[in-house]
Amino acid sequence: MEGIVLALLVCLVLACVTKYLGVPSIPFYIIAGIALGKSGLNLVSADSTSQFFTDLGLIFLLFFMGLELNPSRIIENRTQFLRSGLIDLNVNLFIGFIAAYIFGFTLTESLVVGVAFFVSSTAMTLTSLIENRKLMMHESETIVWMMVFEDLVLIIALAFLARGDSNPLFLFLKVILMFLFFAIIGKYGKGIIKGILKRDDDLPVLFTFSAVLAIAFFSQSIGVPDTLMVIAFGAALAASNATAFEVHAKPFKDVFLVIFFVFFGISVDLSGGISIIAAVVISVLALASKFISGLIIGLRIHGRIMSGIEIGVNTIGRGEFSIALATIFGSAAVSTMIAVVVITTSIIGAFLARYSDVIKAKCMEIS
Amino acid sequence: MNFPEFICAHSPIRYGMVLRSVSLPGIGTKYELKTDKGDTIAVFFMKTGNIQVYTLPKECQAQCVAELSMSEARRLGSILTGAVMDVDQESVEIAFSALSDLRISMQTYIIPKNLVGHSLEETRIRAKTGVTIIAISRKQRNVINPPPSFLFESGDVALVIGETDQLRSFEREFIGE
Repeated sequence: MEGIVLALLVCLVLACVTKYLGVPSIPFYIIAGIALGKSGLNLVSADSTSQFFTDLGLIFLLFFMGLELNPSRIIENRTQFLRSGLIDLNVNLFIGFIAAYIFGFTLTESLVVGVAFFVSSTAMTLTSLIENRKLMMHESETIVWMMVFEDLVLIIALAFLARGDSNPLFLFLKVILMFLFFAIIGKYGKGIIKGILKRDDDLPVLFTFSAVLAIAFFSQSIGVPDTLMVIAFGAALAASNATAFEVHAKPFKDVFLVIFFVFFGISVDLSGGISIIAAVVISVLALASKFISGLIIGLRIHGRIMSGIEIGVNTIGRGEFSIALATIFGSAAVSTMIAVVVITTSIIGAFLARYSDVIKAKCMEIS
Repeated sequence: MNFPEFICAHSPIRYGMVLRSVSLPGIGTKYELKTDKGDTIAVFFMKTGNIQVYTLPKECQAQCVAELSMSEARRLGSILTGAVMDVDQESVEIAFSALSDLRISMQTYIIPKNLVGHSLEETRIRAKTGVTIIAISRKQRNVINPPPSFLFESGDVALVIGETDQLRSFEREFIGE
């Protein structure tokens, strides 16, 4: 328990500093975790309590992601969504997969690294668009929909990772059935749910917390991974009560996710992992792959190289979802690789996104 | 937080401007408006609760941004709709530009000693000056639309509504400035 308190206090200081400097906090939580954990000072180690908190972090992260997945909105925007998303997927999955395979990972491990290469950090990307005041750019809409596409690919990846012995098609069928079941409850119970969530006492928070936890727990009994179940639950509520749920689930997500990040860092084992050269190569590739996919999307959709640069730099940062993949997959070498990718791309990406105007001006000069 | 109705009330067709509203997952709702003169204004109601307003003048690459809190946005909104709230220390003037420039002033006054113990009816404030007392603030309690039988107590604060001239006349007659 004192380990969690120590880790949280370090993260609190880091949160203050990173907010003050306007840089993303996720990479620093991981670095703090590495420093405190077995690769560093060995002050904090994971136990069953921390495991419970990190599970909650993952569950609330994915529940939140589900709340943003409004199926009807996705269908309305399908053209833009598919065009940009598929380019993004092909380029990054390919580069990540090949790189990992060359470094000696197995096929499955390489695929996980490939997907982790592909999924940008939605939190960091959206925050950077807002903080750098770029929402009005036409590219912003493309970027936002790319994030949604990435979420969908992540769901498929999670299903394949967690399926165990069962048939993936059968698993998807179960998830879709659960989604429909939640959607019906969400639709016909909208009034009741709204009534509960609107109250200003302790009921809305208690309701949100226990509903998410109960569903994660319930998933085990029907053989569906809790990760997919909470996404389905979130997505089913997206059309009816998304905002109210977001408001009440946010405090849980904010706190547990920090614990999730720092304990991911604590679990990273640098000694048995990858060499410095491999880390540098993989970081450069991770930066380059999003830049390339951004350029292609910019040219194809907006017809401008400059749009491509903007899309590239704003999507470079990998974060929460890549780490989620690493955690669920649970291989030490893959985790180390993804930790390196997340730390370098999120820090460098944040600076590139902030100074994208300078980069674009320089590119103009050169051309 | 339901702004769409408010915005849709200004029918884009009637004013000949192009209004587009998009919901952006994770960000919020975007309203983009292209004016007749070719300038673009984009408003983002963000999940953070704040509002970013972008303006992009015609044939210009660089956009300008302002980030507003909810209350600042409301204030800006009331300026844009023409109900300008000119807030003074204790008085407010509201102008409805659409209603042939109707202007109404409101001001708060501490009830003077000579009115204490009298009812609203007895004082004949409205008959003499034209102003109406629309609310009384008494310690922790507020009385909206006090009845004619309402008795003033010492320490009462009255919210008085009328034309600026009528308010001045009320001040001369009753407040004694």
